[in-house]
Amino acid sequence: MKVSQETKGSASLFIVEGQVDMHTSPELRGHLREALTQQASPLVVDLTSVGFIDSSGLATLIEALQAVGKYGGKLRLCGLTPEVRKLFDLAQLSTIFDLRDNREDACGD
Amino acid sequence: MSDADRSPSGETLDHVAFRMPSHPRYLPLLRALVGESATLVGFDSDLRTRVLLAVTEAVTNVIRHAYGGVLTKPIDLEVRATDESLRLDLIDYGLFIDPKHIASRPLEDVRPGGLGVHLIKTTMDRVEYRENAHGGTTLTMVKLVTQPKESS
Repeated sequence: MKVSQETKGSASLFIVEGQVDMHTSPELRGHLREALTQQASPLVVDLTSVGFIDSSGLATLIEALQAVGKYGGKLRLCGLTPEVRKLFDLAQLSTIFDLRDNREDACGD
Repeated sequence: MSDADRSPSGETLDHVAFRMPSHPRYLPLLRALVGESATLVGFDSDLRTRVLLAVTEAVTNVIRHAYGGVLTKPIDLEVRATDESLRLDLIDYGLFIDPKHIASRPLEDVRPGGLGVHLIKTTMDRVEYRENAHGGTTLTMVKLVTQPKESS
């Protein structure tokens, strides 16, 4: 898994590539934690190049969602492939997150 | 059965066996094997995704609960692909953990963790945990090619 970070306007954008599971989710958590410490908002996670995410990865995103909520920020996810969207559906998390089709939409105000 | 169906020792073989250390770095390798097996059986993308999720959650539980996070213990997977189903037998050599004792939360209670066993049960058609001869757990998971009508 690879995580890169960019700033787009006011958005703090994290581009994730690869598979997110028990092995890689701590690395993703570390990247997000830094932005959460700085109370970034909106915090955007681009999952376009993620082919698989398990409950460890979903837990990492839930943690981030709860953390931004504490300072009144926003977390948006974008670019979910059908396979990854299915995994969100199975965990009944699709309605919990703000899911956007693409990066431009997610990084907007 | 022809001679070609038999191994040199005369044993008949009906499955693929895979052994990995209990280190999560090997999870992609495990998913590659199971994903290709799902394709071999004829599963579509939806069923393939479900099976990959189940086996990942199952191995994660073994590492966390049966082996307590120790990364060098053996985990065996036996894959049986037939025209009717894909069967996965996951064998560990740790402590037998009754899945009832692994905390699982209601889905509507949105918080990190506690989803693994639930996801295994909802994504597979048959799930059975039993204590094996080594004192560990054998988890059998079956996904049918022809899905029951009420299954989504």
